[in-house]
Amino acid sequence: MLELKQVNKSFGGIRAVSDCSLEIKSYRITGLIGPNGSGKTTLFNLMTGFLPLDHGEIFFKGKRIDGFLPHQIAEFGIVRTFQLARIFPKMTVLENMLLAPPRQIGEKLVSLWLKGKRIREEERKNLKKALTLIEIVGLSHLKNQFAANLSYGQQKLLELVRILMAEPQMILLDEPTAGINPSLIRKMMELILKMRDAGKVFFIIEHNMDVVIELCDWVFVLDNGQKIAEGKPEAIQNDPRVIEAYLGV
Amino acid sequence: MDLFLHLCIMILIYIIFALSLNLELGYTGLFNFGHVAFFGMGAYASALFTLHHVPFELALLISLAIAGGGGFLLSLPSLRLRGDYFGIATLGFGEIIRIIFQNEVWLTKGPMGLPGISKPTLFSYRFTTLPQYFILALVFSILSFFILRMVIRSPFGRVLRAIREDEIATEALGKNVFRFRVKSFVTGSILAGLAGALWGHYTTFISPSDFTLSETILVLLIVVLGGKGTEWGPVLGAILLIFFQESLRFLRLPAEYTRYLAPLQQMIFGTLLILLMIFRPEGILREKGKTKNVGIETGQ
Amino acid sequence: MEYLLQSILNGILAGCIYALFAMGLTLIYGVLNFVNFAHGELIMWGAYFLYLLMEKPIGLPLFLAFIPALLFTTILGLGTDHFIFRPLRQANRLTLLIASLGLSFLLRNGAQFFWGAEIRTYGFEIRRGMRFWGVSITSNQVAIIIVSVVCVALLYLLFYKSRLGKSMRAVSDSLELSRVVGINSKKTIRFTWVIASILAGLGGILLALDTNLQPGMGLINLVKAFAATLLGGVGNLWGALLGGMVIGLVENLGVLVISPGYKDAIAFGIMILMLLLRPMVLLGSKE
Repeated sequence: MLELKQVNKSFGGIRAVSDCSLEIKSYRITGLIGPNGSGKTTLFNLMTGFLPLDHGEIFFKGKRIDGFLPHQIAEFGIVRTFQLARIFPKMTVLENMLLAPPRQIGEKLVSLWLKGKRIREEERKNLKKALTLIEIVGLSHLKNQFAANLSYGQQKLLELVRILMAEPQMILLDEPTAGINPSLIRKMMELILKMRDAGKVFFIIEHNMDVVIELCDWVFVLDNGQKIAEGKPEAIQNDPRVIEAYLGV
Repeated sequence: MDLFLHLCIMILIYIIFALSLNLELGYTGLFNFGHVAFFGMGAYASALFTLHHVPFELALLISLAIAGGGGFLLSLPSLRLRGDYFGIATLGFGEIIRIIFQNEVWLTKGPMGLPGISKPTLFSYRFTTLPQYFILALVFSILSFFILRMVIRSPFGRVLRAIREDEIATEALGKNVFRFRVKSFVTGSILAGLAGALWGHYTTFISPSDFTLSETILVLLIVVLGGKGTEWGPVLGAILLIFFQESLRFLRLPAEYTRYLAPLQQMIFGTLLILLMIFRPEGILREKGKTKNVGIETGQ
Repeated sequence: MEYLLQSILNGILAGCIYALFAMGLTLIYGVLNFVNFAHGELIMWGAYFLYLLMEKPIGLPLFLAFIPALLFTTILGLGTDHFIFRPLRQANRLTLLIASLGLSFLLRNGAQFFWGAEIRTYGFEIRRGMRFWGVSITSNQVAIIIVSVVCVALLYLLFYKSRLGKSMRAVSDSLELSRVVGINSKKTIRFTWVIASILAGLGGILLALDTNLQPGMGLINLVKAFAATLLGGVGNLWGALLGGMVIGLVENLGVLVISPGYKDAIAFGIMILMLLLRPMVLLGSKE
């Protein structure tokens, strides 16, 4: 579904990602692990257009997507979260959700005059969906609160369900479970599995190995900007190269 | 009574001016520090066209287009900048527009200013007396208020606020941040042009010295004092500050004091801005946590 | 030909002064990470402090008056930091910028309150300049060049040879990090204001010596300093020096082809051109 070919990126002489090639297949959850500073987040930024590539190509469903701007890549159907949850603090939980659907008619200034009725219908439809989603993650009672008033874990959950409003085909999650408590982690994993069964493709950076083993069907290991291993999570766990990279021997 | 009507007209015009800045500054988070440029463009364009016997309706439309076009041209290079660079680019633009008014003597009569701007005639009804002009200003400001309210409560306005909160997250959700900013900036410029045109036809005399940084500071103060990012904040701010400013004008001080009065009043405005930012940056009215469900219950 | 040479000389003179403005602005930007809109007013007040000291009733001669004038400018700079910017260190950007714009406006009208809006000079007789190869240069102008060169040399020594300068560079790289390694960032910030204020005051005095004083002179010079900063790369001290020179030269050569009324608009034009040619990446600038 998504393919990286020989992707390279350096910052001032330091190679953050070098000759990285990997392929993410449909209908599964792919993990990306590696020590701190191994280039995982940089890889995400390259894939979503937040950073330009030095060399290499990225294909999504056979179409080349490197060189496009972040909002264009999101329109292609690849949507991401951030390592530190990025919610809109001075907007309510519901507004955070309603913002996400792509290509809303009401986002065009001209249609505010001409298509009032269709905008209302669209809003009603999105509202219904948003209410269902925040119900699932247990944020319903907070729907009219400013997102800033949520706990950090709740903000991460909000960011995750907000992404689902954006009708993505592929979802990139940057450490979804970092800094949130175990009961919320459980909730989040259930949601991810449910979405996978609904046909969404996930690519997840994750440090928590228990989460990786339970969720992922396939894992890539990154070290010093290079892919050093890939395989099923159980196999990866015992791979000597991976152990070496993590222990720094 | 005349004094009261004059006060009301000035307040109404400044409400339009402040609402337009609030869209950019309060809702989109654009640091526009040269808003006076568009006010001036509206005033000069409408005055010049009517002085050349173009009917008011058409002159007004053209001047709005000029203000909007100016906003569009400025926004293309400068909206790519991060906040404070954008602030200084607009600040500079405000100065440049004034320099142009001053130097293009063949068009604007330069520092001498343009006298004898006609009172407007709309669909063959002339707005000459104070009560008539009051009605005109009232209609336009109510119209502006409701148009902007519709824009802000719409999904479009929601994206603007999201950009203000976190442009990177907005971009990651597939919104073209640059394009939304340009639209917000152009809309704001057009409305500022409207305020300028109304003001020019009201005072009937304009000169480059009417469009200095002081005007930008005044309108900025109106917005942040009333409460930026709120629907009623600019209205409240305009009532308070224009009342203060215009009543100073009618103090009838001896001539030797008037030289001190203008800078003193400006110093008060500057101080007020600083104190507000230190002690209550959100202004008198603050944004509420509970928002109406956008556009649904309100039946927009 | 002589006309051209004279314009180049005038351009270098103006460039020296703009470089002083731009270096001060970029220093504050580097260490505190915001554009100080009141920097132009530090320039203007520097010039007016000198005026105050040279006029009756004080009536000091120039060489005695300029040291206290710089001292007053420095106190003004430190005062603005202490009472306005320090309380806003953690505030969001918009709040900080509006406060600095308000300050700029307050200071500008303060000067107008005391001295009125009219154009003033230090009241030196206009002397005929010395002439070389058909180019005229006054002793004031020679002084401008010497003072600027000395300033730049001192700044260089300060930045690369002294501990304080090194800590300024460290703080400008990362405020957080320098706290961790134990650089006293309070002291560094204060010191940065001292340097920036002196540069602003000195530049203002030189500019007023060469031309005149007026409460509105701050704003347009802020735009010029910013354009120079942008030209040289924001936060880059030597870039600011170079940028200032370029602005000065282009401005003075520009009036050969366009109306002198637009001289002040040239810096703005360069700024817009820079933005068009080198459009910074919209996003990621925060990271």
